[in-house]
Amino acid sequence: MRLLFAAFSVAVLVGSAMPVQAHHSFSAVYDGNKPVTLRGKVSKLGWSNPHAHIYVDVVNQKGETVTWEVESASATNLLRAGIRKEDFIGTEVIVKGFLAKDGTPTVNASSFTLVELKKEYTSDEATPGAR
Amino acid sequence: MKRMVILAGVCLALAVHAAAWAQTRPDFSGTWKFNQAKSSPNIAGNTPIVPFPSQLVVKQTPTELHVDGTSVRQQPTSAVYKLDGSKVTIKAPSGITESGEAKLEGTNLVITSRRSFTSPLGETIVDFKEIWTLNGNALTIEKTRTESESGDSATEKAVFDRM
Repeated sequence: MRLLFAAFSVAVLVGSAMPVQAHHSFSAVYDGNKPVTLRGKVSKLGWSNPHAHIYVDVVNQKGETVTWEVESASATNLLRAGIRKEDFIGTEVIVKGFLAKDGTPTVNASSFTLVELKKEYTSDEATPGAR
Repeated sequence: MKRMVILAGVCLALAVHAAAWAQTRPDFSGTWKFNQAKSSPNIAGNTPIVPFPSQLVVKQTPTELHVDGTSVRQQPTSAVYKLDGSKVTIKAPSGITESGEAKLEGTNLVITSRRSFTSPLGETIVDFKEIWTLNGNALTIEKTRTESESGDSATEKAVFDRM
């Protein structure tokens, strides 16, 4: 019984120390004063809830390719809008969103367009008031 | 005598012109609260492409327009525009450079501004144009966001109620 309790305690401690992809507030991570538009190819996809993460290879002004992490709506919401996991890989995408506060190539998407498929998704997570 | 009559005529004409100008010149002063129901639906998203403040506090003098904006998800903004259309520096959050100008065009107020900041893309420049129109106790702002690099542009309309 003691051993079981010890194992349980260790599991709780390890679990709480692991990084979690939480449903954070926009203003904690992103800067609403820094709007950006990205255009590039999707190289990887994190198809998850509460946010899907789209990784996009974008060529910057110096001609270097930088992989951006795009936080989008949940996979469930994207599916509801008729956008599937298979629609992303290798496709060209245009993303409009807001830059991360920490200056990394991370953006919160207001909308994105899958260019070849001509599918557009606009975030509709309505909350009272404007931003 | 003739000179006196001419002078009086000129003074009268100037007075009439000033009075007419004062009557048609809109005054945007007041505290304005965003009305979601009357505004473009796209503004209500989690991260709208064209963002608007939740509340505006405007003080207008004959020569200046003081605009303080507060938002749920953005840092407060504060700008003092000269109404003669001359360029002013806007107090922007850290890492952002912004300048703008405002001028009255008939019964509308037109504010144009340019915001620049560094991102992993390079130097990012975003232009905004706002057209303010008063209609009784409602203030309508039509705002266009244009990114210089991509030329990408979007326009939305927001309505604010006088508090």
